[in-house]
Amino acid sequence: MVVKRDTYDDEDGARAKRQKVEPQDNPYLAHWNDEPPRSRKPANSDRLQSLTRHATTAKQATAAEDGPLNPFTGRTLSGKYMSILKTRRDLPVHQQRDRFLKLYQESQILVFVGETGSGKTTQIPQFVLFDDLPHLNAKMVACTQPRRVAAMSVAQRVAEEMDVELGEEVGYSIRFEDKTGPNTMLKYMTDGMLLREAMHDNNLSRYSTIILDEAHERTLATDILMGLLKEVVLRRKDLKLIIMSATLDATKFQKYFHDAPLLAVPGRTHPVEIFYTPAPERDYVEAALRTVMQIHSTEGEGDILVFLTGEEEIEDACRKISLEAQEGQDEGSGGPLVVYPLYGTLPPAQQQRIFSPAPGPGRNGRPGRKVIVSTNIAETSLTIDGIVFVVDPGFSKQKVYNPRIRVESLLVSPISKASAQQRAGRAGRTRPGKCFRLYTEQAFKHELIEQTYPEVLRSNLASTVLELKKLGVDDLVHFDLMDPPAPETLMRALEELNYLACLDDEGELTQLGSLASQFPLDPALAVMLITSPEFYCSNEILSLTALISVPQIFVRPAANRKRADEMKDLFAHPEGDHLTMLNVYHAFKGDDAQANPKQWCHDHFLSYRALQQADNVRMQLKRIMEREELELMSTPFENKKYYENIQRALVAGFFMQVAKRDGTGKAYITVKDEQSVLLHPSTVLARDSDWVVYNEFVLTTKNYIRTVTEVKAEWLLDIAPNYYDLTTFKKGEIKRSLQAVITKAQRTAMAKGSRR
Amino acid sequence: MAHSDEEEDYMSMVFEDVPKQPQVETSIQRAARRRREERARLNSRTKAERAADAEAAREAALATALPETNKGFKMMAKLGFKQGDTLGKSESARKDPIQVVVKGDKGGIGLESDKKRKKREQWEQAGREAKRTKETEGDYLAHLRQARKDKKAETDLDNAQRTAERLSDKKAEGQNTSENIETPLEDINILWRERARNRLKEQRRQRGEITRVSRVEALVDADDDDDTKIAHSRDIVPFYTTLEDDLIDEDTELAEFKALPVLDRLHKVLIYLRDTHHYCYWCGHQYRDAEMDGCPGETGEDH
Repeated sequence: MVVKRDTYDDEDGARAKRQKVEPQDNPYLAHWNDEPPRSRKPANSDRLQSLTRHATTAKQATAAEDGPLNPFTGRTLSGKYMSILKTRRDLPVHQQRDRFLKLYQESQILVFVGETGSGKTTQIPQFVLFDDLPHLNAKMVACTQPRRVAAMSVAQRVAEEMDVELGEEVGYSIRFEDKTGPNTMLKYMTDGMLLREAMHDNNLSRYSTIILDEAHERTLATDILMGLLKEVVLRRKDLKLIIMSATLDATKFQKYFHDAPLLAVPGRTHPVEIFYTPAPERDYVEAALRTVMQIHSTEGEGDILVFLTGEEEIEDACRKISLEAQEGQDEGSGGPLVVYPLYGTLPPAQQQRIFSPAPGPGRNGRPGRKVIVSTNIAETSLTIDGIVFVVDPGFSKQKVYNPRIRVESLLVSPISKASAQQRAGRAGRTRPGKCFRLYTEQAFKHELIEQTYPEVLRSNLASTVLELKKLGVDDLVHFDLMDPPAPETLMRALEELNYLACLDDEGELTQLGSLASQFPLDPALAVMLITSPEFYCSNEILSLTALISVPQIFVRPAANRKRADEMKDLFAHPEGDHLTMLNVYHAFKGDDAQANPKQWCHDHFLSYRALQQADNVRMQLKRIMEREELELMSTPFENKKYYENIQRALVAGFFMQVAKRDGTGKAYITVKDEQSVLLHPSTVLARDSDWVVYNEFVLTTKNYIRTVTEVKAEWLLDIAPNYYDLTTFKKGEIKRSLQAVITKAQRTAMAKGSRR
Repeated sequence: MAHSDEEEDYMSMVFEDVPKQPQVETSIQRAARRRREERARLNSRTKAERAADAEAAREAALATALPETNKGFKMMAKLGFKQGDTLGKSESARKDPIQVVVKGDKGGIGLESDKKRKKREQWEQAGREAKRTKETEGDYLAHLRQARKDKKAETDLDNAQRTAERLSDKKAEGQNTSENIETPLEDINILWRERARNRLKEQRRQRGEITRVSRVEALVDADDDDDTKIAHSRDIVPFYTTLEDDLIDEDTELAEFKALPVLDRLHKVLIYLRDTHHYCYWCGHQYRDAEMDGCPGETGEDH
């Protein structure tokens, strides 16, 4: 099914009007709104007036918190506020408020260690507010979170604790969503968002205190931020920095930040007994299921948390546990058992189910239990009360990047010792617990690495390099990262950016590179989007970019694979998956679908959430394009070059992700790296295409390329002549066939010339 | 159309002996042939082989560092980066990318290394056993063979010596009838002197006449005082004074002879028998003349 393009792309087809969006409407430029520092002093903030900046005591602050008026808004504090305040005062961090304030006031940088459950994420920023009083200087306090969901939910919680409206005094900012206002003094945000802000404001001058939370997770953005802030604090003596970590390995942070003082607050945890298996397990999933059933039939009350690696494995395990538990119950041997899966791509409503209470005891008196089978998101980010037993097979899916074959993939890998300890700790949240490690003690000691590798060592750094360049970091070789990656990683990133024309041969940012850095996208995607007007299809490429940036739009439930595939075939374009995705999006935006989009998606085995998200991303990217005066246009659908133009535009961004069919016609060989790959079984590509661009190189026991679309060798040579400079190619089939194309083109040109 | 060939032949202008294809293939033909061959080669491989090839290619690429010709390297070199340097300011920075390990099964942590360890142990065990078997088989048998050979050679030597002595005595008797039993030991032919010495030893033992001669005394410096001499003779000498050693010590010629391998000694005796008495130990026969007509050769193997 080919869907006729609708007019939603823009108002008048191919020639879109250039729309200038005012900077104040652009969430990325929110910090440009440098309205004169207006005093945001509420009329009756007497209690705060009595406080001196950077000289308050816990006593003064608690008095201000006690009310009866809200010290920041002047409104009367609600009853709910008072009851929350009581529980807040019970949190472990509250006991340390005085010590915290003292260290905070004395030092520019502070490392704070608080185990999960200490209350650091919600309380420390508030402690800071009462001492830093940012609103009096028209500044803000920023608190970064590695995950969007955490930034949103914590902001929501803190707004409640402070008895203010979310988006007013307390707000959040995540990619594609900014919920802050002129009154905002405490802003929760993703670390990536703060990094993007730094690109426009290298000194982060809007902030008086920056708190990097969950620093132990060592996300790419947090690591880069630490490197940057280490320099910023030298330039801005008025800026305070707090590094918050949940693990005791904070000495590394201390050392990195020139021996900054450290404050540690113990969490509220109970002892956890750890069990190992006597011999290595043949099948860790099977062992996990066995362990769950054993706990269920022999142990006392308490819920079970099982760590597995991915969606498919988890769903499968959930099914099997349910079945076995049902059997057990039928036989009368076990108590009632409910099983919930938990993984990142699960819709939020289903994620919430893990918090529902466990079933009561069965008729035989055996305790009822809930079992949560989760990826490592339950390791740190989510706290589930009632967990007493943890089953840890010792694996998780981890991102891996290798610059030598340019593959970025999620691979099932052994966890680290630190990670294993964290998992075990989950069993001791409510009462003493037990952790069953499905490996031997020997294996724990000798096979697991100490710490999980930080993301910066496991990522393609092309976008990071572009960001750093934009951040004004010129000497990338000596940029002081806590854990610098292998030099080859930087080498590859620079090379890729050079081929994309984002960096010149000297390594300087080009105009295109500067423009590409404005987009919160991979450089290849950004370049594709920026150059798409040259191919008369920027509307379509905009949609495609959005579709590639969101999770999988096709749903293929295990129980209904055949039907799902049939539905996908309705949208299939014979020349490839990118074009198929575009067909889906166009259909989704059609009148038929929009009448009841949720139902339509359900009927067609599409993810409504992903498509909605794509719609949102598209809107945000469109704003940036308009701001940067990039024309939005389409080739008329009737024109036979409609799809060809899109394919050419794809080449402009993805010319480094091309594969050629090999002699057998079954496998493909990637250009330059010469890796043998297979088309992913999910592809709709219906032709024996000699050349394809691919979006992803997936590493499993076989090498796959996923999301592929046919292209022509002529386009490669024409659109990316620098990359397809044959003198840089190894001898072989690829070079031979490209040479043949060139020779043929020359002959044709000569023939034309002689005819004239 | 079986007859078409004949019809074509009838009309054909082609000479039979001219090859239909030019000897030298053109570049287009070569390329086509190569493609054909490549395809045939690839098609002949099984799925598993292809998968193994792909994996091998991947591992090879993963083990190869990016070359200095890389554009990124050149940009980094401008910032002072040299091959072998690390990034950043940390001393513990990585030099190589993290290894990519693709897990192909559901094996638990430690299973792989456990398997490897077991396999290694098995190998080692097997290796040890093989070695031991070889030792017990090969070495023992060889040792056994050698011992048997030596023993046989000793017997042969003893017999040959006896024959040589006998023949020599007989010859001496024939030449000169006077009894000459008390020939000094050192004048007896070295080849069988040991026999004579053993006899003498036996006689002396029966007479209870054991002399103690010290090799050490000979070594003792003349300048040493008496105490030293006494001490030496008292303390050290007894260890060295055995009758056998005395006799060997006195007779260096015999000692040298005895130091030769038994086969060599046997050979010497046999040659003596042949040369002097025209006697072949292996034939057990004394020939008339030096021709020794009828004897197949000098060695036992010849017989």
